[in-house]
Amino acid sequence: MRHRSSRWVKVLACTAALAATAATTAACGSSDDSGKTADGKIELTLATFNEFGYEDLISEYEAAHSDVKIVHRKTGKSDAHHQNLYTKLAAGSGLSDVEAVEEGHLSKVLARSGQFNDLKEIGPSGLDTNRWVKWKVDSATDKNGHLIGYGTDIGPLAMCYRKDLLEAANLPTDPAAVKDMFSSWDKYFAAGERFTTAGTGKAWFDSGAQIFNAMVNQEEQGYYDKDDKLVVTSNPVIKEDWNQVTSAISKGLSAKLPFGQPEWTTGAKNSAFATKTCPSWMLGVITESAGPENKGKWEVIDAFPEGGGNWGGSFLTVPKQSKHPKEAAELAAWLTAPEQQVKAFSTAGTFPSQVEALSSPELQAMTNEYFNGVKAGELFAKQAQAFDKAQYKGPASGQLQDEVFANALQAVEQGKSSDEGWTQAVENAEKVAK
Amino acid sequence: MTSDTTRIASGRGLEPRPPVRDLPPTTGDDGGDPSRSWRYRLSRLDVKFSPYLFIAPFFLIFALAGLFPLLYTAYTSLYEWTLGANDDAEFIGLGNYVELFSDAQFWNALLNTFSIFLLSTVPQVIVAVLLAALLNTALRGRVAWRMGVLLPYVASLVALAIIFSNLFGEQYGLINTLLQAIGVDPVQWQADRFSSHVAIATMVNWRWTGYNALIVLAAMQAIPREVHEAALVDGAGVMRRFFSITLPMLRPTIIFVVVTSTIGGLQIFTEPKLFDPNSGGGGGSDGQYQTVVLYMYQQGFLNQDVGYGSAIAWVLFLIIIVIAGINFLITRRIAGTGEAK
Amino acid sequence: MTAVPTIAPTAGTATPPRREKRRSIANLERPGVFVYGILTAFILASAFPFYWSYLVASHDANVFADTVPPLLPGGNFLANASRVLDTIEFWRALGNSIVVSGTVTLSVVLLSTLAGFAFAKLRFRGRGPLLVFVIATLAVPTQLGIIPLFIVMAELGWTSSLGAVIVPNLVTAFGVFWMRQYIVDAVPDELIEAARMDGCSLIRTFWHVCLPAVRPAAAMLGIFTFMTSWNDFLWPLVALSPEDPTIQVALEKLQAGYFIDYSLVLAGTTMATVPVLIVFIVLGRQIVAGIMQGAVKG
Repeated sequence: MRHRSSRWVKVLACTAALAATAATTAACGSSDDSGKTADGKIELTLATFNEFGYEDLISEYEAAHSDVKIVHRKTGKSDAHHQNLYTKLAAGSGLSDVEAVEEGHLSKVLARSGQFNDLKEIGPSGLDTNRWVKWKVDSATDKNGHLIGYGTDIGPLAMCYRKDLLEAANLPTDPAAVKDMFSSWDKYFAAGERFTTAGTGKAWFDSGAQIFNAMVNQEEQGYYDKDDKLVVTSNPVIKEDWNQVTSAISKGLSAKLPFGQPEWTTGAKNSAFATKTCPSWMLGVITESAGPENKGKWEVIDAFPEGGGNWGGSFLTVPKQSKHPKEAAELAAWLTAPEQQVKAFSTAGTFPSQVEALSSPELQAMTNEYFNGVKAGELFAKQAQAFDKAQYKGPASGQLQDEVFANALQAVEQGKSSDEGWTQAVENAEKVAK
Repeated sequence: MTSDTTRIASGRGLEPRPPVRDLPPTTGDDGGDPSRSWRYRLSRLDVKFSPYLFIAPFFLIFALAGLFPLLYTAYTSLYEWTLGANDDAEFIGLGNYVELFSDAQFWNALLNTFSIFLLSTVPQVIVAVLLAALLNTALRGRVAWRMGVLLPYVASLVALAIIFSNLFGEQYGLINTLLQAIGVDPVQWQADRFSSHVAIATMVNWRWTGYNALIVLAAMQAIPREVHEAALVDGAGVMRRFFSITLPMLRPTIIFVVVTSTIGGLQIFTEPKLFDPNSGGGGGSDGQYQTVVLYMYQQGFLNQDVGYGSAIAWVLFLIIIVIAGINFLITRRIAGTGEAK
Repeated sequence: MTAVPTIAPTAGTATPPRREKRRSIANLERPGVFVYGILTAFILASAFPFYWSYLVASHDANVFADTVPPLLPGGNFLANASRVLDTIEFWRALGNSIVVSGTVTLSVVLLSTLAGFAFAKLRFRGRGPLLVFVIATLAVPTQLGIIPLFIVMAELGWTSSLGAVIVPNLVTAFGVFWMRQYIVDAVPDELIEAARMDGCSLIRTFWHVCLPAVRPAAAMLGIFTFMTSWNDFLWPLVALSPEDPTIQVALEKLQAGYFIDYSLVLAGTTMATVPVLIVFIVLGRQIVAGIMQGAVKG
């Protein structure tokens, strides 16, 4: 059916185009764009967003491959990049040879895996997928065992906290005690209650969604079962996590500042919250947001309730639209090799997903001055290995996390009861997943 | 509908003018008359075909860029169609439409749209007409005043999003900070449905009032001065002159403003999207300010449920046509009152 | 918004007509302090986001997080501006935007006026229904059109060229409707009649009689079209080649990262607003000039 309808669409588009421009030279159906430059080089396009740190690497690759020219499409925000990606997936043309996909969008892309090349099949033959941490590879593998993307970077989770605020609330601040406080969610919430009742007027965490997402992602099973059936209501742990977080909200633990919004930045500057779930890239965000006046007050520690987790990081994919899939896969494989990813890490701070890169001296030696000179590289490399399972994600997992449950938790923070919020979440989840 | 529009199409009837279109005869047989020169025949061809040539560019561009998207949405609205998914699209007839009518979120979006529409478009059009009247007086430095009110229109959307989010922030926003400074409770601009509508309507009005005022002003300037002078001599006051001369003579423009503002107001999208710090299509944590177009965008574009999104698009289209039609009729009545002398 | 009970100052303060022969209502009344007060409030409200943008753009990023912004500009604008120039290909993108928005604006104004003229003043079969059709197309929500439009453009092979963002916008239903409504009254039938009597073809009549008479309306349409085109983001992002973007697409790159440096972003937007202000001033004078400089009736 899909094929029929897409042919219908094409015929109609052609008719419309031709009718309107009978005089022009619209060659319908035979787009003869061979993807080669005038001097016969293969032109590969690469689409990334944010900062991947690839500029120098691209020149290096072109120097080593005289027959390849690389055009780099850089978009600022992840949203805009993925909107472009989905539009062109739907339209059936226009994608780059290599498209970056962010972790949050991965489930949506996997649901469209038919439009992407299996990198196991077309990638360089000698490539050993053990070069990545295991869960990174697992998360980009679809149900049929096809590998859709090569991992670039990751965002292993640790905990950030305000030492001065903990002290002010008479909570322990020596590393061992803090680690213990952050060793399980129960202890984390208990400490939060002690913190808020101490009357500093500050909140324990920034927003409920940040905690809830981390909790759900640690569960054996998330929003979907392996048959892509929505299990939001039948998987009891989801409701348990929900209850725990909403009860924390009702006790005033949340600063009610959703991450990524302008008010979060102001909140960070005004010391609105004492702890933060901290992927590696969060250190930079806190540094810029909290500003010079809070320098030295923030700490990061190699602990995370119930083990660890990941937030963020991307993959390089090769869509079937690519005219040079083999060359594109070769480029993607090269860019995601440990040596290159270490270089990208030093330029753009993208934390590598490759085992070998994690133990590289450059990374291990990295310190962070704002966080009192902590050996951040070593710390996050450790956190990356503390985490070893990739939860199965269904087609709408990304939206369920970032839209449905995040919104419902925000609604609770804005005054809805826990039950009302839950009803809202379940209704919307069923809608999104339909 | 047709007969009404024929009436807009035939201009206002304040002072009957000799209809120019009848000048070169468009009917009658000129076939074998030897006295007709080729020039005349050319002129006849001109009269007959030039109007079509003049309007042709619009229809050509529409055929190229507008028609296919229209047919595409009509077609996909009959399918359970998730873009690019591994599963095939499935024909479900009017299933999407049926589902839409029992979809609480759609009705919620429709309600929000009307609420924001009433808070923005209605006061905006009224203020725009009054503002135009002020700008049409003998101001010193008229150029600067007139262009000043149009300034919001040239502001960048990115800057607007940033600044309005700063103004209407719930915890640290400028407005709430000022309110708290004078001892008033902060307003929940995001969480509370009505407050969020007020905030969005403020953005809309800020952007569009000056623009509409200048549209009306452009038309006001076309009113011959003699008409006003005559009324002045008759002793008509400011109000009376405004309502019985200015307004009726602005009729085509007011109709334009009302129709386009109705359409624009019901399609409101940019402002609620900019107002949402999550920049998605959700329109607040529980859709408290999700409008119909935002919902359509969320379903059809962000969630890639193209079939359902397309069904929303078509239903909205019909709603707009009906309401714009009603507004057109009302406006014609109101603006037409001065006509009957 | 303030309720506006009075629309004009005291009646009866009519001043004698000034030198120019044809002035509109303008000279009938001299506005009082009240009117100036209202207008001043309007202008201040209109201008404040521009000032705020410049404030943030002239400080460093950290200032943005303050609840109450500093009231005076800082000294960092040039530093931020040069960071913008280092980060993106500002001039090239600006040039593209000027080409795109300029072409689209000229075309929309000309073609919409032409069609508006036909709908307002010429008689032809199907005029009423065709006009209804044009207006009805305005009611079509366009947000979902981006995918099918991309399909059409890809079939034509126009993607990645500026044509893909120019051609679909060459004439708009909004423009046709607006010019039609304006021309109905602003262009006197007698003038057209006279031109026709002199043997002018319709196109010459349009050019010499109609076009000069619609300058204020055309200027309004011009500003509107220019701004819509200038601010367009998603379609140029999708349709254009990444190496050759329009200014909005290029500026978006300034928002990379989880921490957005608003002083950088707003420095970029402020810089990109300058050409718009120029267009605005040039066209704005046309609106203000009024119709008296155009075709003269009677």
